[in-house]
Amino acid sequence: MADLGDLADPLVVVALRWADARARVDPLTGEVGTDPRGAGPGEADRCALEHGLRIAGATGARCAAVTLAPPPAEEMLRDALACGADEVLRVDVAPEDPRLPDSGAATARALARSIRAELGDPGLLLTGDHSADRGTGATPAFLAAELGCAQALGLVELSLVDGRLAGLRRLDRGRRERLAIPVPAVCSVEPAGVRLRRAGLPGTLRAREAVIPAIPAIPVASGQTGAEPPSVRAARPYRPRAKELPAPQGDDPRLRLLRLTGAHEEREPPRVVVTEDPAEAADELLAFLRDRGYLP
Amino acid sequence: MRDRAGPAAEAVTVRRPEAADFDAVVVGAGPAGSAAALELARAGHSVALVERGPFPGSKNVYGGVVYGRILDELIPDWYERMPVQRWITRRQTMLLSGDRSLTVDFRSQNWGRAPYNGATTYRAEFDSWLAGHARAAGAVLVPSTVATALLRTADGQVVGVRTDRPDGDLTARVVIACDGVNSFLGKQAGLHPDEQAAHTTLGVKETLALPRETIEERFGVTGTDGVDIEILGGTSGVPGGGFLYTNRDTVSVGLVLGLPGLAKAGLRPEEILAELKQHPSVRPLVRGAEVVEYSAHLIPEGGYRSMPRLGGNGLLLAGDSAAMCLAAGIWLEGVNFALGSGMYAGRAAANGLRSGGPAVLGEYRRLLEKSFVLADHKKLRDAPGLVLSERVQHRYPGLVCDLAEGMFTVDNPRPKPGLRRLLRRAARHNGVRMRELARDALTGLRSFG
Repeated sequence: MADLGDLADPLVVVALRWADARARVDPLTGEVGTDPRGAGPGEADRCALEHGLRIAGATGARCAAVTLAPPPAEEMLRDALACGADEVLRVDVAPEDPRLPDSGAATARALARSIRAELGDPGLLLTGDHSADRGTGATPAFLAAELGCAQALGLVELSLVDGRLAGLRRLDRGRRERLAIPVPAVCSVEPAGVRLRRAGLPGTLRAREAVIPAIPAIPVASGQTGAEPPSVRAARPYRPRAKELPAPQGDDPRLRLLRLTGAHEEREPPRVVVTEDPAEAADELLAFLRDRGYLP
Repeated sequence: MRDRAGPAAEAVTVRRPEAADFDAVVVGAGPAGSAAALELARAGHSVALVERGPFPGSKNVYGGVVYGRILDELIPDWYERMPVQRWITRRQTMLLSGDRSLTVDFRSQNWGRAPYNGATTYRAEFDSWLAGHARAAGAVLVPSTVATALLRTADGQVVGVRTDRPDGDLTARVVIACDGVNSFLGKQAGLHPDEQAAHTTLGVKETLALPRETIEERFGVTGTDGVDIEILGGTSGVPGGGFLYTNRDTVSVGLVLGLPGLAKAGLRPEEILAELKQHPSVRPLVRGAEVVEYSAHLIPEGGYRSMPRLGGNGLLLAGDSAAMCLAAGIWLEGVNFALGSGMYAGRAAANGLRSGGPAVLGEYRRLLEKSFVLADHKKLRDAPGLVLSERVQHRYPGLVCDLAEGMFTVDNPRPKPGLRRLLRRAARHNGVRMRELARDALTGLRSFG
C-alpha cells in the first residue's frame, strides 16, 4: 500500500461545499431564499479542511481547497488560504447546466475534471460527509468513482500512522471500524474530532489580497451523468399521510383518554445517575443501553 | 494564545514599530467605520477595516431610518444604488396613554423622489454595501476579527490594535475606533466617562413579516413609499419610546428603554414590547404578522453632555463609540451621525497623515463642530433630559390625550368647554402644574426652536 509521501508530487485536495445553512423555504411554493453573505462551508467541510492541512503539513504535500460555486464563494476560499491552504480553485457553476451543484454525480464529475486539469491527480481528496444544506452525502462516493480511487466515507477520525492514512468509522450499535486507507483515496469526514484552526492575522491579510483563480465548469455531455434529473411538475405543501392507530379500548371516555396518552401506566421512572466515581456512572449508563438493545 | 480572545481590560504597551502595517486601522465596519475607511482609502492611504462579524452588518441591530443627505458628500449618487427597503414619505408621531392615542401624521411625496429624505433599509445589506465602497476604494476588510486591545508605546501613543487572531498585532499610524456603544478601545484609552449605564438605552426590536400588499393597505402607502412612526408612551412606565417602521415585506416594531428605569421596573423588554403590540392603535397594524427576528442592542442616547472625549494620541472615536446618536424626541437619528462622524474622522486622519503627523484630534473636532454632527448635538443638548423626564414620559401623553378627548367629545346639551378650561382640567388630572408646563415649553423652545 502506497504512502502519500511516496507520490511524486503529493497533493491533498479539500473539496468544500458552499451552502447557506440558513436558507428559507417557502412552505407553500417551495421557493428557496438564500443569502450569499451568510453562506459558507459546513462544519464537516471545515473539519475536512483541518484534516487536509494537517496531513499535507505532515507529509509535505500541497494542500488545495476547491469548490464548485458562484463568485460569492471566493470568501470561503480566502478563509482556506488564510488557514494555510497552498492554493485554491473555484469552479464556476455553469448557468447552462442546471444540475450543478445540486446533483452529486454532476458535481463530482465537474470537480474531478477540473481538479485533474488544473491541479493534477490528488493523492487524497477530502470532503465533509454531508453538505450543510441537507445534501445526500453521495458526492464523495461519486468523486471516488470519477477519480478511480479508494473511498473511506463518514470518518470520525483521520490520521497518519507511520506515514499511512488510518481512519475510524462508526458502525451501528456503537461499534467502530478502523480502516487502513490506501492512496489515492477520497475520504469524507464527519464534523467531529478536529476543529478548523483560527487563521493568523498575517495569513488573513495575505488572503484578502489574493486573486482567487476561477475556471468554468467543464460541460458534461447529456447522458454522461446517468439518469437525467427529475423535473418538478407540481409543487405543493408537504402533507404526510395520517397514521392509522387502533382506537383505545374502554367504555369510559376518561379511560380511553388515559389509554391513549399512556398516563398511569406502569413504567420505570427516569432517574439521575449521580455517583462519585465516573467509571461507575459510565458502567451504569452502558448497562442501561445494553439492557435496551442499543449496545451488543 | 486562546482560540478566541475577549477584549483585554488594558492597552498593551509595545515598542514603537519601525514601519506600520497600515497608515490607518479602522475598527468596526458599521456606517462610521466604512465611511472613515472610504475617506482614507480615497485619499490614497492604506487602511485595514477590522470587523468582528463574518460580514459588515451581520452584528448590527437597528430599526430606523437612514437619512442619507450626508451620503451626498460621500457617495454622490447613493440613492440610485443604496439597498433601500422603502423611502419614508409618511412620518407620524404617536402619543399613547392607556388605550388612547393621539397621532400627528405628515405625508410628503417630495420625500419619495430624488434626492429623497430618508429610507428604511436592512443593516446587513446597507453596511455591506457601504463597506463594499470602502473595499473598492482600496481598504482591506478583515472580517471575523475582534480588536481586543490598543497597542500603545510607553509614552501613550496609540500605534495599532491587537486582534484575537494568532500573530494578531496590527500596527498603524492612526487608529479610528468605530467599535460601537460598548467601545472597549475607547474605554481602554480612558476616553469614556463613568456611569455609562445612566446614558444608555436598550433598543429591542421585532421584525414582523407581512405580505407586501397588507403593509401597503394598513399603512396607506404604495410602491416603494414607507412609513415611520415614532411613539411616546406605551413603555409600561419605563422611560423611553417606541417605533414602527415599514420595510418592503416586513415591519420593524420596537422600543427604546432607559436602562436605569428598566432595571428599577423589573420588567422584561419583550414583555413591554408584547404589551405595546396589543395597544389598540398598534395591534391592527401588526395583526397576523409572523415574527422573523428578535434583536436587542444598547444605544448611547445621552447626547452632547455624555459624550466621551473624541480621541487623542493617535486614536479617534466615531459613531456609537463616540455616542453620536441623537435622541431628541421628534428627531431620532443615529446612522447619519455615524456616517458624518466617520467621514470627518477619516478626513481628519487623512489630512494628519498627509502632513506627516498623527495629531488629528483638533481637526476632527473642528470638522464635527462645523457640521451638523456636533452642531445638532450641542443645540439639542438639553433635549434627551427633557424627553426622558418624568413629566414628558408619564404625564404629558395623558395630558394631551385628555385634552384631545375633551375637545372631540360631544356631550350635548352641555355647551362646549373652552380650550383653556380643558387644558387646566387635563393638567390637574395628570398632576402637571402650569408653571412646569411653561418651563418645559421654554426648554423645548430653546432646544428645538
